[in-house]
Amino acid sequence: MRAEIVTISTDSKFVHLAWQRSEKELEKVRYPMGSDNTGKLSRIFGVYDEQTGMDLRGAFVINPDGTLLNAEINYYNLGRNIEELMRKFKANIYMSRKTNEVCPSKWKEEGDVTLSPSASMVGRVHEALDKK
Amino acid sequence: MIDSIPLKVGQKVPPFELDIYDPVKEDFGTFSFDPAKPDQKWTILFFYPADFTFV
Repeated sequence: MRAEIVTISTDSKFVHLAWQRSEKELEKVRYPMGSDNTGKLSRIFGVYDEQTGMDLRGAFVINPDGTLLNAEINYYNLGRNIEELMRKFKANIYMSRKTNEVCPSKWKEEGDVTLSPSASMVGRVHEALDKK
Repeated sequence: MIDSIPLKVGQKVPPFELDIYDPVKEDFGTFSFDPAKPDQKWTILFFYPADFTFV
């Protein structure tokens, strides 16, 4: 399943270009680098810092209907775990197809144990997680 | 300036456009998000403080 990934800061597109061309770490970057100069979009997602004019470290997963399904915001000094972001992304896609299932914390990919909440599972979550 | 109450999980993201630098085309462009588009894909937005720092 493909997603559109866009990275966003309040830098201009000109600075994005300069950074991508000069930083070796970004040599293989293929996703669009968005510029939110005015902070308008950043404010909508609650990541805009009015004191500094910069964005906090935010990651958001949105489904094709436009519903925000996952939000994570870290302060400046903590990086995000991309594996965890992709886990949430994959889980959301899986659950959009299997709407009666939920993905527990240890779910990583299709085939891992999911739960189907029902009366019979009340008080039996441990057994349900253990079935594999 | 629009009212800026941040979105919560479960709410609808309004359509938006962003100026972009596209490293594949090595050119500037526009990224547009609009759930009304029939081909709108899943979207991941990844905000960070500033270019030329760690992400």
